[in-house]
Amino acid sequence: MNSDFHYYATYCAAQLAGYSHDECLAIAYCDCFTDMCSKTLLSKLNAPAAAATTQLHLEMVDMRTDIIGLQDITRIWSSFHFLPYDLYAEPPKRCSKKYKNKYRLICNPNGELLKETVCLAKDKSPQAVGLAMHVLADTWAHRYFAGTPSLVINNTNRYFYELIPSENGYTEKKITFRHSTTTPDDPDNSIYTASLFSNSEKSIMNLGHGRAGHLPDYSFIRYKYLPAWGNYEEILKDNPSDYHYAFYQMVYAMKFLRGAYDSFETDTYDTEVDENIQKEVERIINTRQLNSDNDWKALGEKLSGCEIEPFDVEKYQWEYAEADKNSKDDTFLGKFILAALAQKSMVTNKIYSSGSRLAGYSIDYGDKGFKGIRAFKSLVREEEV
Amino acid sequence: MSRFQRVKSLIFGVFLILFAVALFTSPTEGYPVIAAVVSALVFIYGFRLLIYYFRMARHMVGGKSTLCQAIIILDLALFTTSMVSMGGVVIIIYLLGIYAFTGVVDILRAFEARNLKASNWKLKLATGLISVLFAVSLVVVGVVNGNLQIIVYGYCAVLLYSAIVKIVTAFKRTAIVYIQ
Repeated sequence: MNSDFHYYATYCAAQLAGYSHDECLAIAYCDCFTDMCSKTLLSKLNAPAAAATTQLHLEMVDMRTDIIGLQDITRIWSSFHFLPYDLYAEPPKRCSKKYKNKYRLICNPNGELLKETVCLAKDKSPQAVGLAMHVLADTWAHRYFAGTPSLVINNTNRYFYELIPSENGYTEKKITFRHSTTTPDDPDNSIYTASLFSNSEKSIMNLGHGRAGHLPDYSFIRYKYLPAWGNYEEILKDNPSDYHYAFYQMVYAMKFLRGAYDSFETDTYDTEVDENIQKEVERIINTRQLNSDNDWKALGEKLSGCEIEPFDVEKYQWEYAEADKNSKDDTFLGKFILAALAQKSMVTNKIYSSGSRLAGYSIDYGDKGFKGIRAFKSLVREEEV
Repeated sequence: MSRFQRVKSLIFGVFLILFAVALFTSPTEGYPVIAAVVSALVFIYGFRLLIYYFRMARHMVGGKSTLCQAIIILDLALFTTSMVSMGGVVIIIYLLGIYAFTGVVDILRAFEARNLKASNWKLKLATGLISVLFAVSLVVVGVVNGNLQIIVYGYCAVLLYSAIVKIVTAFKRTAIVYIQ
């Protein structure tokens, strides 16, 4: 998903859930900021690197893929962009534990961890809500891929066909991948950029949906392919349908977070939206364009009657950088950082508890006290407050 | 990182230091030793690929290509072993090439950090430039002037650096706190 969905569409969903304009802006900002909060940006702000929610392309190239590096990568990508669906899933065939641990990190919507993610944001700041909405939306867009470098899970082959709506249903068109990061994708000719093939299991080229390029990030596209883990069974990725569910699940989740429902149930979507708005949402999702910023923005402004300012990554940085040490957690970005640490802590703990060490070690503070990465002490402080 | 992984990382780091010191003290014999180590590494890589196929890649779409690669690499390892006695400047240049590439990545990262106004870009740029200059100057001095000893010394320095990184990694904090 791109900023069009993570910023403007989230703003629209928050409006439909009943949040005020300012709250919607904060939620949408933090949803979008989850794709920007890298260690490089945090180092600029003298903020804890452990709160990183993404990695820049060159950060990953620069990173050592030893056990520590891989755990760091997995913590970031599994916690915020590829939330595992079932940490106790059994692959269809007998396999090694190493394979099983990677297979279990495959992302899909409506898993137990999604429920945990949404509930974690309950009674918390709008920053925590925005971050949870990012994770929720990505479970739909990034489904069938895992947030850890893995050739055996995330690789794809040449079998890739786009299904373009036509008078007789759908026309199949072969997708061509190239490896130029500077050339924009060309949907008219079905030419897209993807990461290079690397036969190394731990190569960052095999992280997430890199091998499928940005196809999961475009709402309009439908395609079929053979995932590496799928035992030669074809998968049809219907993005318009997935984005539809993502949008209405966000509305439902945010209504829950505002207190409209007592509990959050998976596989539940808000269907009480006005028919004309639903039609507009479907139109935007299905429009064949690489960026839907303008359409979502117009819908958001129609819903709220207020102007939606464009996303500015630097907007809150000065406030955080200038705040004194004791009041940093009370700033806009300080609250985002706390929410990021809490989400990362929760997902790492769940992966660790499932018997996998792919995301590193997790220690229960109640049982063993504080050990490990110091940045997480702020969670302890928050709990004490 | 488990205790076993920490101990493994520590032992490997110490072994690398000892190997680098041994090479440094007798550089004349060092050159074929490096070539022998490279061929041994290719062997290990081939075996690891074979194990990887049986543990992981056989479940993957197109996984049989991993099996083919393992067989070809093991064959290549045999070929490399036969070249050890002849010596091979190419192997050294290859190793230094990899080292220079990491320097190029550092430089690109520095530019990216500068664009984001991060504070550590100068240090990154300096380490990147030093890596590239180090590799290039070794090739120039060693290969062009025919002084292969200096390449062995350079290789020792790279080994020492890797050893230090391994040892530091063994002591890095990894645990994450979960509050219920």
